[in-house]
Amino acid sequence: MLEFRNISFHFPTKRNTIDVLHDVSFTCGEDEIVAVVGPSGCGKSTLLSLATGLRKPTAGDILIDGRPVKGQNRLIGMMFQQSTLLPWRSVVENVELGLEIRGEPKSFRRDKAVTLMRQYGLGGFERKYPHALSGGMQKRAALAQTLAMEPEVLLLDEPFAALDAQTRVVIENDVVKICRAGKRSVLLVTHDISEAISMADRVVVLSRRPGTVKEIFDIPFSRGAKSVADVPAMPEYATYFKRIWDALDISVTGMNETAA
Amino acid sequence: MTISWHNLIVTLGRLLVLAVLLLGTELGVRYGILSKLFFSSPTEIYHALQAQYGEGTLMPNIGITVFETMLGLIAGSLAGIATGLVLPQSRTLSRVIEPFLMVLNGIPVIVIAPLFILWLGLGLASKIGISVYIVFFAMFIPVYTASLRLERTLVDALWVMGANRWQIFWKVVVPSSLPSIYTGLKIGSGLALIGAVIGEFVASRSGLGHMILYASGTLDTPTLYLGIIALAIFAAALSFAVDALGHVLVHWRFADEK
Ligand SMILES: Nc1ncnc2c1ncn2[C@@H]1O[C@H](COP(=O)(O)OP(=O)(O)O)[C@@H](O)[C@H]1O
Ligand SMILES: [Mg+2]
Repeated sequence: MLEFRNISFHFPTKRNTIDVLHDVSFTCGEDEIVAVVGPSGCGKSTLLSLATGLRKPTAGDILIDGRPVKGQNRLIGMMFQQSTLLPWRSVVENVELGLEIRGEPKSFRRDKAVTLMRQYGLGGFERKYPHALSGGMQKRAALAQTLAMEPEVLLLDEPFAALDAQTRVVIENDVVKICRAGKRSVLLVTHDISEAISMADRVVVLSRRPGTVKEIFDIPFSRGAKSVADVPAMPEYATYFKRIWDALDISVTGMNETAA
Repeated sequence: MTISWHNLIVTLGRLLVLAVLLLGTELGVRYGILSKLFFSSPTEIYHALQAQYGEGTLMPNIGITVFETMLGLIAGSLAGIATGLVLPQSRTLSRVIEPFLMVLNGIPVIVIAPLFILWLGLGLASKIGISVYIVFFAMFIPVYTASLRLERTLVDALWVMGANRWQIFWKVVVPSSLPSIYTGLKIGSGLALIGAVIGEFVASRSGLGHMILYASGTLDTPTLYLGIIALAIFAAALSFAVDALGHVLVHWRFADEK
């Protein structure tokens, strides 16, 4: 379980400070997927980096299973928005990197990495280097790397944007299944409202910078769906889409702010 | 099919250029079209080779210059890599040291050479010292610059996976610097030889630089050419070896070619 309690964060710059997040509170429970949507630059990635302990909030507390986050935390796993595969390591060496850092024995981590890679359609690419993989395959390798460490809290920063439609549905379903099976907490940052509704139990809408929680939507109806691909056809979908869209308030001025 | 034809033509072309050069100088010098003071025919150079070899001076001279160059390259590179990687670990330390290194780097090696002769004497040590000095900067500058521009997200990703400082250093910082180490080796290998020969030019009793300078002083043009050719062959072999080493260092960039 991951809790944000009255989180504020300022970036110190040379001249002044940038207010990035202001008084953000929400929780992501066990066996729960929470999606965070908001205009770009509103502090979504920053929020995740606070949860990992990479940055410290200016005010407020972040708790994992009731204990405050300070420094590194074994319970948390994160997939970054940019590719973080190491170019000088083969794909399988990248997938097993987290286990290697933990000091797991070589045969154990290699077996686990190879199994995960097969599961994610990367079988046969073990000895390739990341640059030889398509964008979608790189994302899957990064996901396999994160899941190999079996984190209790999984942070995903716009993970599926680069995937083609079919692969995307497969992996979205996998993430939902992994969350449910392991009673994990998944925090998913996305700019895709449809993805948020299809995958998440709750959707947190952030405002433009400084990011504040505008509204939180419970999405009870999508939980029973066999596949995330079935959700948009459900009768409740359109209503939720409209409400979240309105909350996001992507007006013309909002677009300008984004481009700036 | 077309590829092999292309290769054949290139090889034949190269042989033709070589043949024209050899035959041109041979005939030119023999028939007095080219002055013997400025040019030597391949036969004359070959005779110089026999003479130098017979006196037992050629091989030691080559050996000494090769030794100075290799030692300068290896020691200078190691020092450059170590400093380039470790200095950026402390922002304060690197800001203190940086201006001193930049000023030292700006001094032309030719004016530093007499100082090394003064410190380390007429023997090999001073030549190796000069070589180490210029190779150090050729290696330090690219490695240092690359370490300062290290991809922050990669470090963050490893940190989140639980890596300590040491693991981040060996798994991210060091491999990130391999392409710049390769760059440093490429530039440094040429400079290592220049350093050794400059040292030999300034003051020495042996080495290819000494042989060339002596031949020039005694107007022994064939031996002068012999020295230059020996240096050229060594430089080419060294550059070939460095390229081969580079393919190992940055193996991932070449993994999918072939
Ligand atoms: N290293 C940094 N230094 C200063 N400001 C930053 C830095 N990184 C991000 N910001 C600012 O913080 C804001 C939030 O960034 P980010 O969390 O990446 O947004 P999002 O992921 O929602 O697009 C941005 O508007 C950006 O200007
Ligand atoms: Mg972001």
